[in-house]
Amino acid sequence: MSVLEPVVELVRGLGQTFRYLFDRPVTYQYPEQKREVRPRFRGRHVLKRYDNGLEKCIGCSLCAAACPADAIFVEASENTDEKRFSPGERYASTYEINMLRCIYCGFCEDACPTEAIVLGDNYELSFTDRRSAIYPKEMLLEPVPTVDMTTPRKVETGVYKRSVPEMKDPTD
Amino acid sequence: MKGKSFLWQNKRLMAHILFRHRDIPDINKLDVYKKNGGFAALKNAVTKMKPAEVTDVVKNSGLRGRGGAGFPTGMKWSFMDSKSWPHYVLANADESEPGTFKDREIMENNPFQFLEGVALASYAVGANLAYVYLRGEFWQVAAFLDEKLAEMEDAGYLGENLFGTDYSLKIHTHLGAGAYICGEETALMESLEGKRGQPRVRPPFPPSVGLYGKPTVINNVETLTNVPLILANGADWYKSMGTADSAGVKIFSLSGRVRKPGNYELPFGTTFRQLIYENGGGVQDGRPVKAIMPAGASSSLIVVDDKTLDTPMDYAFVRTLGADLGSASVIVIDDTVSIDWVINKTIHFFKHESCGKCTPCREGNYWMRHLTERIHSGNGYSTDVDLLLNVAKQMQGKCLCALGEFSTMAVVTGIERFPQDFKKAVKA
Amino acid sequence: MSKQVTLTIDGKQITVPDGTLVADAAKLAGIDIPVFCHHPKLEPVGMCRMCLVEIGRPMFDRATGQIVMENGQPKIQFMPKLETACTNPVSEGMVVLTQTAKAKEGQKGTVEFLLTSHPLDCPICDKGGECPLQNLTMEHGPGKSRFIYDEKLHLDKQVPLGELIWLDRERCIQCARCIRFQDEIAGEAVLGFDERGRNTQIVSLSDPGFDSVFSGNTTDICPVGALTTADFRFGARPWELKAQASICTQCPVGCNTTLNTRREAKAGGDIVIKRVMPRQNEEVNEIWLCDKGRFAHHYVGSKKRLARPQIRKDEKLARASWDAATKLAAENFSASKKDFVILASGRLANEDLFNLKSLADHAGGRAILYSDMGGGDLTALVGVGAGTNLGKLGEGDAILVVASDLYEEAPIWYLRVKQAADRGAALIVANPRETKLDKFAKFSIRYSYGDEVKAVNDFGKKSKISDEFAKAKNAIVFFGSEGLGLNGTSAVASACADLLKETGHIGRASNGLIGVWQRANDQGAWEVGLQPEEDLAKALKGKAVYIVGTDPVGDDPKLAKALEGAEFVAVQDILETATTEIADVVLPAQAFSEREGTFTSGERRVQRFYAAVPPTGDSKPDFVITSMIAKQMNIVLEGTSVSVVFDILANSIEAFTDLSYAKLAEVRPQWPIVGRGDVYYGGTTYENKHGLGVQLVPAAQVGGTVRIPKVKKEAVLRPKEKELLAVPVNKLYDRGVTVSPAELLDERVGEATVSLHPEAAERLGVEAGARVKISFDGVSGEAVVKIDDTISAGVALVPRSMGIAIKEPVAAKVK
Repeated sequence: MSVLEPVVELVRGLGQTFRYLFDRPVTYQYPEQKREVRPRFRGRHVLKRYDNGLEKCIGCSLCAAACPADAIFVEASENTDEKRFSPGERYASTYEINMLRCIYCGFCEDACPTEAIVLGDNYELSFTDRRSAIYPKEMLLEPVPTVDMTTPRKVETGVYKRSVPEMKDPTD
Repeated sequence: MKGKSFLWQNKRLMAHILFRHRDIPDINKLDVYKKNGGFAALKNAVTKMKPAEVTDVVKNSGLRGRGGAGFPTGMKWSFMDSKSWPHYVLANADESEPGTFKDREIMENNPFQFLEGVALASYAVGANLAYVYLRGEFWQVAAFLDEKLAEMEDAGYLGENLFGTDYSLKIHTHLGAGAYICGEETALMESLEGKRGQPRVRPPFPPSVGLYGKPTVINNVETLTNVPLILANGADWYKSMGTADSAGVKIFSLSGRVRKPGNYELPFGTTFRQLIYENGGGVQDGRPVKAIMPAGASSSLIVVDDKTLDTPMDYAFVRTLGADLGSASVIVIDDTVSIDWVINKTIHFFKHESCGKCTPCREGNYWMRHLTERIHSGNGYSTDVDLLLNVAKQMQGKCLCALGEFSTMAVVTGIERFPQDFKKAVKA
Repeated sequence: MSKQVTLTIDGKQITVPDGTLVADAAKLAGIDIPVFCHHPKLEPVGMCRMCLVEIGRPMFDRATGQIVMENGQPKIQFMPKLETACTNPVSEGMVVLTQTAKAKEGQKGTVEFLLTSHPLDCPICDKGGECPLQNLTMEHGPGKSRFIYDEKLHLDKQVPLGELIWLDRERCIQCARCIRFQDEIAGEAVLGFDERGRNTQIVSLSDPGFDSVFSGNTTDICPVGALTTADFRFGARPWELKAQASICTQCPVGCNTTLNTRREAKAGGDIVIKRVMPRQNEEVNEIWLCDKGRFAHHYVGSKKRLARPQIRKDEKLARASWDAATKLAAENFSASKKDFVILASGRLANEDLFNLKSLADHAGGRAILYSDMGGGDLTALVGVGAGTNLGKLGEGDAILVVASDLYEEAPIWYLRVKQAADRGAALIVANPRETKLDKFAKFSIRYSYGDEVKAVNDFGKKSKISDEFAKAKNAIVFFGSEGLGLNGTSAVASACADLLKETGHIGRASNGLIGVWQRANDQGAWEVGLQPEEDLAKALKGKAVYIVGTDPVGDDPKLAKALEGAEFVAVQDILETATTEIADVVLPAQAFSEREGTFTSGERRVQRFYAAVPPTGDSKPDFVITSMIAKQMNIVLEGTSVSVVFDILANSIEAFTDLSYAKLAEVRPQWPIVGRGDVYYGGTTYENKHGLGVQLVPAAQVGGTVRIPKVKKEAVLRPKEKELLAVPVNKLYDRGVTVSPAELLDERVGEATVSLHPEAAERLGVEAGARVKISFDGVSGEAVVKIDDTISAGVALVPRSMGIAIKEPVAAKVK
């Protein structure tokens, strides 16, 4: 064992460290700097709307049935042409997700027949108490594109006659 | 008139048995009919014969039902449940098969022979009440028959104590409301009872449980019209006509692309060629026959060649061609007609006439209608033809009554026997 | 025992009675043949073609008539076509194959055909989750549709058949179960098909739409979501519901029900009853339920429910503790000594009534049953024998219905009596006017109001009708309160009991007397010793009164006046009523759905109900409250366990001997088998897992001589000129406190009416629909005129519980 050996080892070690000075850092300056999420990332849920502003959710409760954590609670009511929320016969009058319970598995998204509930990009969820971890429908619903497209709204009679809006097969 | 009036030459009937009005003018008048031997058979039967003897004569004559199924008439009568009373006789004058127009001619021109047949059938099965069920469109015929029935009653051929015996008989006419399905015997009974015209589940068959739940004989108008002359001339006389399988004469309703469409009374065993060319005057514009539908819209399509044309028409021979003679309403299709057009027509008819009771017929015809329409309009693909065939086969053997089964006949045989027509009709 | 037939289904040998259909035989063998149109309670029609199977029968040698043998086994000849299992009866040696490729192909084909027109509504359809079509599609259907979506036929989607039932014409698969139920079971052909082929549609043939009190049952047996109730529409998804066994409290039939509950945001996060479903009990309600039982449950969740005890302070009711409230009541009751009166109704459970009766006995007071119908002592004596089942009556049996419109008073009895008549039982209806049951009666007897007893006595004399009744193998008499008050019903009951005794129709199963009571547990009240009082106003005046489960103030102005003069009034109820407003103490009780207990039905069947929803506020069960008051009066009554109260009751009342909660919860196998996973077979009715109940043995069945007490009938009232004889009749949908909170039924409840003969109407110068004032005996009210030409000219029919306080026939002025 040479005397120099520790010195050599030290230099090698420091060399490694030195090299990383020129590498791109892997850390992000969160929250100033945010990392882009992957395409299939499953974050906070969003209740989608159609282009005309009507809600996609029909209050079928299949998301609640599929949820392994029992985090979703849905209650439905009937649409009328005077007060229309969604194009079909019924809409979700109550839609709550308990974000503390949710395990972000995405089963709700799979179960949804109208592609209304979608797990979005947002992962910044923080609550100060358990109660505020329950997100009501107002928080989950996507904002309307323009002001005149809010729900509920009055529509012409006879336009929305189907029980369930006609749907295409899911594209992805 | 025995023996002499019925002359045979070259298999051509010189005198008519059913269409006697064509030989004897004014036979629709009571005195003329009587003068030509009318009601003799009835009087003889009621006064001198036992009901079972009447049935036996009909049984021995080999008379088969002319409504389509060709069931031996005498056998049907003998099936009547003698433990349950009263018995009813129904004459099926619903004649709604597209291409069939024979019963109407009988009822309008030779009504007494038909009604005498009804009376004889009633006597044979011990019925005191008989109904003539006519399709709704036959309201004029019904009114005419009502007149004739009144005349018969006045003359003592109907009513209480016929010919001084204790047998009494009433015949009523009843109009349907315009539904093809009411020609099906159980649907006819439902309709007559005032219910929706929808077929019943069989068994039980009408001779045990029929009209109002009682034993019922139901026969086609043409079948019953045969009966008086069979009784008058004997079973052997009748058997001497026609073929071994199918005795007697048959009215062929000829239609389609022929020069002289119409009713032709001919003995069983007449060939298609004789019917189409000798009687019907051949095909229009002298074109070749491409296909024949021997039993109206509900029949299979027969591919026509020389062998086919020379096939004698009776229940057994026509079956060898892969079709049923049915009601013998022969529709002639020449080579100007594409088969996809034909089945589009028939399916349109069946979709409209399906009663909606059983699933395969109700949904299947609706589905087939969309497919035939698509194919015929040129918007179909070959997969649509395959699907159409598949749907039709999926219906077969599963329907509640014959309507559903028959609706698929033209489709299946059309696609299988005339594939080239469909190939032309669809997009690649 | 009928002939037995042995057949083989999928290799499983089973022996069933001759005449059984293959589909039913398979069910018995534990093999599920898929069906849509077939229902074990309905006649087979073979429409849907879902149950296609291969059927083979032993081959017979035509010459010898012997079975052809092959390798020592009978040679089986299979039909070339598939056959429907629902229309083919079994035969000896039959072989049925349900799982072959051919059968499977047939079943798959039928599902595919049905789906071509069926919309994709499953996510929002009320039936989704308990839908036969959904289930059978999953099991037998093709995975992918070959039918082009755009070619689907579109029909009307939201069609109200009546105000209670909605029809979705697109979802309908034309199985006609609803039509056939109305025709065959209910005997009211108010539904029918319109159009034909693919356009076949269900229509209501009645005005008002779907005019039947059995309409809800069609939604149970509908194999798709075509028929849904307005009550449950979009209420919840079926899989989210919890189920609890219960008993219907609306009439004396005692239908077994299942309460479906769910926690709901709309109800402020409470667990609420979402719907009431029938629970199978072939001896009581089979698998049916009337619309009142199904839709009137809303009073349980009403905003008017009493939640906290209250004490009157400075003329106002103020919230109080249970201790203070019960103490105040106890003090007043103790102080009143013999002037202590308990007024209780048949809405209470057996245990409640027993504790009340015990309290009255110990405190030296009186316990009165709030009812204007007598004869409960006689039903205990010569009531129907244990083992009675209306569903078994038929050829050779007789049923007499006196002074009762069963359709309005006890719909399920109407249905069962009607079916007994269909099976051949001689139905005799004795009523002054035509009722719906008359259509099925072999004999109808008409008498004048007031002549009820005479009619029954005359019936005992020799006649064709009485002969038929006397000779019947089994005979049951229903007596009701149409046109009768307390005295009148007692007299009629006595006359009926005499008749039964004379003809030997007592002390046996399927023989005896049944009271068509006004409340669910009136029979139970009689059993524990409560009896009604002829002059109730007098009995209450100046007393310390403990009113339980009833609203005398709201019902009758005379009683209101009497209670004003009462010493002290404690009211124990579930809802705010006119009586709670005048109370000194208000004690909130729990509704039947919030607690356990037992009811005794009119057929004297003791049945258990269970807690389905949490109690409202601080409310307590009635028997507990009574025991709390008793404790303050130094009387010891069981007040913690309801089953212990029942045990004590069973020990002290002879008819209940040997009964216990465990015994009441026993079940036996029932036919048809319903309520399991295969909703397509029997509908969504629940299976009975919580007890079929036990029928009490009437004294006459125990043995010994039966002496029937004579009741003197008051003289028949003959109104003066310009007066009419106002007689009380019973209406199903009335303004009772347990009905009116159900807004859905408002239209059927309607306004107070008075039915007049056309002549009487002409004399008064009024037409149908006119408003008149009717007054008698210090009571007056407005009513809408109805014309009925089946009644006599001198009477005016006034329905009970519709705002005009009528208890018995009275002379009335109509203006």
